[in-house]
Amino acid sequence: MNPITDESLHKKVLASLATDDRTATADLRVGVSNGFVHLAGTALSLDIRTAAADLAENIPGVRGVINRIDAPGAPRPARIINLNPEV
Amino acid sequence: MNPSLPTLNEPAARLKTTISQVRHFNDLPPEVQDAIVAAAAPRHFATGQVIYLEGEPAEFVYILERGWVKATRMSRDGREQAMLFLRPVEIFGDIAVFTSTTYPGTTTALEAVDTWVVPSTTLMKLVKKHPELALAVIRKLGERVLHYIELVEDLSLRSVEARLANTLLQFAEETDGRLVVPRRAWTTFDEMAVRLGTVRDVLSRTLKTLEAEGLLKVEKQGIVLCDTKRLAERGNM
Repeated sequence: MNPITDESLHKKVLASLATDDRTATADLRVGVSNGFVHLAGTALSLDIRTAAADLAENIPGVRGVINRIDAPGAPRPARIINLNPEV
Repeated sequence: MNPSLPTLNEPAARLKTTISQVRHFNDLPPEVQDAIVAAAAPRHFATGQVIYLEGEPAEFVYILERGWVKATRMSRDGREQAMLFLRPVEIFGDIAVFTSTTYPGTTTALEAVDTWVVPSTTLMKLVKKHPELALAVIRKLGERVLHYIELVEDLSLRSVEARLANTLLQFAEETDGRLVVPRRAWTTFDEMAVRLGTVRDVLSRTLKTLEAEGLLKVEKQGIVLCDTKRLAERGNM
């Protein structure tokens, strides 16, 4: 079994965002460090912003998501931290 | 030609002036500066916009021309720790490029920010070709190491009160005969707490304690330092 690395998580998050209809066309950026996914960029709605974080969070091995995606109505500074205590 | 219209050479000249203000890069030979100018492109960031993310592949080195930038790193328990506050003129994003890793922290524009970006592959080629540039980079990275040594010492050995006292003394400016740490649009309690590696409540209590003892005064326009000698003592300086 391949170990879960930040690099492999990065690829999986990018693939997940690119293949989901809600996030495929959004201008999003991804960083992964120590199993934590950092999201930034711009989404047209809060729903898309939330969907991006959900997609990242559901990838096995992800320890948490720091959501800095800018969207209408998003908190400023646009930073929501969800830690996954099970990983 | 209408003199009010920008010429093609204006951005290049502006970048050359900017590079000449970067410590250690100011004495680079003109041909090295020209090579950097030829490779760089301008990039603007609005207030609050992320410049690059922690864990993102390091594709560019940034030259900060205008505006303040914050570099932070997220701890495993979800606390954000400030690593650097950058003001013009400065180079950043370089550590990841020279170590061939991802960016070690997230950088955010605290106000409207103008930068020049140099692709990391181009910069690596330039460093290999020009020893003077390699030396400038080594000096710059050496300074960064010293900064992080101080940060480690600060976070591990000094109390929040001492860190606050030091930070205030470091950023104070003389205004109308008073020493004041000016309040910028982004110097909120939350930002200051991130900078000091603490939380808002602790910072608020510490400021109130120092104010009650007459060491400082929190005003709308900034924090006035009333007794720098005692503040320095509290900062273990």
